[in-house]
Amino acid sequence: MEQFTEILNRLYQMTAFSNIVENPAFLIMYALAFVLLYLGIVKKYEPLLLVPIAFGVLLANFPGGEMGIIQADSEGYVTLADGTKKLIWDMPLHDIAHELGLMNFLYYLLIKTGFLPPVIFMGVGALTDFGPMLRNLRLSIFGAAAQFGIFAVLLIAILMGFTPQEAASLGIIGGADGPTAIFTTIRLAPHLLGPIAIAAYSYMALVPVIIPLVVRLTCTKKELMINMKEQEKLHPSTTEIKNLRTLKIIFPIAVTTVVALFVPTAVPLIGMLMFGNLLKEIGSDTSRLFDAASNSIMNTATIFLGLCVGGTMTVEAFLNLQTIGIVIGGFLAFALSIASGICMVKIFNLFSKKKINPLVGATGLSAVPMASRVCNEIATKYDVKNHVLNYCMASNISGVIGSAVAAGVLISFLG
Amino acid sequence: MENISLALELMVVGMITVFIILMIVIQLGKWLIMGVNRIAPEQTVTHKRQTPTPAVPAADARTQAIIRAAVDRITGGRGQVKNIERLP
Repeated sequence: MEQFTEILNRLYQMTAFSNIVENPAFLIMYALAFVLLYLGIVKKYEPLLLVPIAFGVLLANFPGGEMGIIQADSEGYVTLADGTKKLIWDMPLHDIAHELGLMNFLYYLLIKTGFLPPVIFMGVGALTDFGPMLRNLRLSIFGAAAQFGIFAVLLIAILMGFTPQEAASLGIIGGADGPTAIFTTIRLAPHLLGPIAIAAYSYMALVPVIIPLVVRLTCTKKELMINMKEQEKLHPSTTEIKNLRTLKIIFPIAVTTVVALFVPTAVPLIGMLMFGNLLKEIGSDTSRLFDAASNSIMNTATIFLGLCVGGTMTVEAFLNLQTIGIVIGGFLAFALSIASGICMVKIFNLFSKKKINPLVGATGLSAVPMASRVCNEIATKYDVKNHVLNYCMASNISGVIGSAVAAGVLISFLG
Repeated sequence: MENISLALELMVVGMITVFIILMIVIQLGKWLIMGVNRIAPEQTVTHKRQTPTPAVPAADARTQAIIRAAVDRITGGRGQVKNIERLP
């Protein structure tokens, strides 16, 4: 009988139940994973990202499964299961796979090296059309104003007790650009990668809720009814594009060169974004590369990025006060970015005869093209003929460049 | 206090950098538009036909365009369609 009890006890110890009973916090992580899966699958909030992230969260929190990411400390040491410490950069990849598990192998190979975010940016570039931006160049400046949220929250987060590196990673959520947020966090505060990625992508998915909320608080009906096409007729633009195709080919090459000279730390993001775009614009000669960049490579990168980000959200890394601070700070960064873009348009309208709809400023944060679509819906709600999509896309696309530059500044100062 | 002054410094430097870079991108865009308009304005496509050919039905013209696009894609732009004939 005693032997039977011992066998049962061993069986119990072998399962994950013993660890879950010992530390019920795992149940919170399962609940979080299920909520994220629900949002991704049923509510269709960014399913391409939320589903892999949520499943990664689930995998990471099964005790004994060895799928949770073990973060190296500030000096690069990781604690193994037997309690010994090893310098991660001295460990060959097969040792990482063997001793820390498959997810850590993927994390240290693909994420920690900063490999995946630029690869995803290449795919984003391949799917981006700079046409609306080139047709409405002057509206691109609002992509700069909308980066204010990043730096404002950086200051607030420092006041809340975050270190400058952590605060910068938190602030970059205001750029509304997932790969940029991940890239910056990997460089500055890798231990916060999980909550920051979740906050960034969750708020991006909530763009249809957040933008109307901020717009309602900051804009009047009269401002929202400014018809951009009528303004264009009243004050026609003097610039005419005669050869858009050639222009679109030269533009990514020129922008990469100029940005690389001024902010070299932004090159991995801007460079890959523009490279992807160049592949698209060249046309049939590079169509196979374009197809790979925008489909197979991007999809593969998204799967691994999502799973690894989810894998960083272990009980120890996620359930703490810092995460709550990140959730609040992330929302603030997002809202401030939208509001600052709107304010910039309002200031501009004070001095210009050619009025601009403040919704163009609201799309200065990235989240392409969802932010533009949402703003177009708001504009048409007030005036069915007032389609602002193309104008919003100009500031929306320049916001991608703006947030990458802001990330470059943060990395070069704090990295 | 030191961190707060660093944050303020970053705010000023960061925002100025982002504004300057985007202003440069805007100016660069304007120069590129001017340059491209001057050097490579889009040429109007003129269809010169040396020998009179029988009028091609619209459906055939569309089919020919599809075949040309398919050949262009499959051969990576290296292949050319010289003649399209309907087989008996």
